[in-house]
Amino acid sequence: MFIFKLVSLLRGYVIIRLKTNNCEKTLNLLRKNGIRMWDVEKRESDVKLKISYEDYEKYKHIIEKAKIETVSKKGLVFTLKKLKVRKGFAAGLFILLICLYVLSSLVWNVEVVGVNDITEKNVIKLLEQNNITTPISHSSIKPKKIETMLYNNFDEFKFVEVYVEGSNLIIFIREKKPEKAEIEGSEPSSIISDKNAIITKIIAKSGQPMVKEGDVVYEGQTLVMGMVKNKNSEEFMMVPSDGIIYGKIYHNFELKEEKSKNMETSTDNSKNVYYLQINDDSIKIIGDKKPFENYNYRESTIKIPIISDLFHITLKKCTYYEQVMKTVEIDENTANNKMKVNMYDDLLEVCGKDAKTLTSSLNFSEDDSFYYLRAQIEIVESIGEKVKLSSMPETVNDETEEERMED
Amino acid sequence: MSKFNNFRSKLADGLEIPNDALSDNFNLRMHGNKKVIIENHLGLTIYENDKVGIKTVKNNILVKGSKFKIEEINDYKVIIKGDIDEIIFDKKE
Repeated sequence: MFIFKLVSLLRGYVIIRLKTNNCEKTLNLLRKNGIRMWDVEKRESDVKLKISYEDYEKYKHIIEKAKIETVSKKGLVFTLKKLKVRKGFAAGLFILLICLYVLSSLVWNVEVVGVNDITEKNVIKLLEQNNITTPISHSSIKPKKIETMLYNNFDEFKFVEVYVEGSNLIIFIREKKPEKAEIEGSEPSSIISDKNAIITKIIAKSGQPMVKEGDVVYEGQTLVMGMVKNKNSEEFMMVPSDGIIYGKIYHNFELKEEKSKNMETSTDNSKNVYYLQINDDSIKIIGDKKPFENYNYRESTIKIPIISDLFHITLKKCTYYEQVMKTVEIDENTANNKMKVNMYDDLLEVCGKDAKTLTSSLNFSEDDSFYYLRAQIEIVESIGEKVKLSSMPETVNDETEEERMED
Repeated sequence: MSKFNNFRSKLADGLEIPNDALSDNFNLRMHGNKKVIIENHLGLTIYENDKVGIKTVKNNILVKGSKFKIEEINDYKVIIKGDIDEIIFDKKE
């Protein structure tokens, strides 16, 4: 019925009034002639009903004969008829619609997301070189083509996605992370220590060893120097260093764990609050704003068909789950295990892959409110790190330069 | 006429197709006590705020209640809305 009424509104309908005492007879007469009637309402002295404009025009003679009064004519047809008189307004409306269509079918802005300003400028410059300048029609934008073009021109791009959103052309870019510069085998290099340690083993395959077993070395200290004396002359020459250096490292840990903890646990209570979201503003329509003192919160957006797209109005559903604070006693075994796991996690973060544990001493203790773990772990691991050696540019004395000038 | 109508009604039942497609019998449907749809009718006999009478081939139907409004009426069906209290079927004389 709703669809029928909507169509009637577009095609136009007429409200008529019957003033006869025997309204049934008139209604049957109209019905027999195939006139469809709706919203027939009996009032004290008359009957009001609606018929389509089409039927009204077709059976005008019958309606006039039956002494029926026309109350009003409604619908889009009549509104458009009025526009025939107001030609200026109609023309303005037509131009407005055309403008709206034309302007909304163009892209007015290019937005580059995920890169710095310089790269953004370069991307826009490249687009301009390929005749992609704003304003540009939606149809002439080929996202796949632009993506390929950007991949071909920028090697540092890992991921590119191009899409049109309203009147914006969005270019979403992810850049590759700069790779660590690798030292080539033939480049002169030294080996330095990357940790504070006691040297347990040092085998220098190439280069001059600067430390010996048992030495205490600090972070950044040179272990193998990439400079050796030439056998034939007194000059030093730079060589690529290579070797195996192992060091003993002591790691000390101090951890503590509470004997009782206040933990948030959720109850079965939950409440929904609905908001009407218009652009960035939200208006509460159903429910209390914060129904619980402690709560967990989850929100979801419900899109209203057509309205959400046209007016950016959405329905936001927020669900609040009640949380209650509870004091939980932690037993000694659990606390010790937890501290041990945490300690080894910390140890793994600071150790290399080839690290081996020599000795470990763990001391557990406790007081009124905490459990404690004091630990010392002795580890052996490779501590050498290659660094590139670069020759200093030769300084030219001012005097020799002056002599040259004189010559 | 009536015998022929009965035959058509039985045939429709046998073929498991809607009765009103073959016979002149009316089809009455109710949505709660708020709405009644009568198909295959022959016109209105009474229309008041508290009662509506509808003529069909075999019976006269009288719908009693209050706040009656005819939502739609055409050559084939009539939809009556309001608070329906009772529906009476009178055999035509």
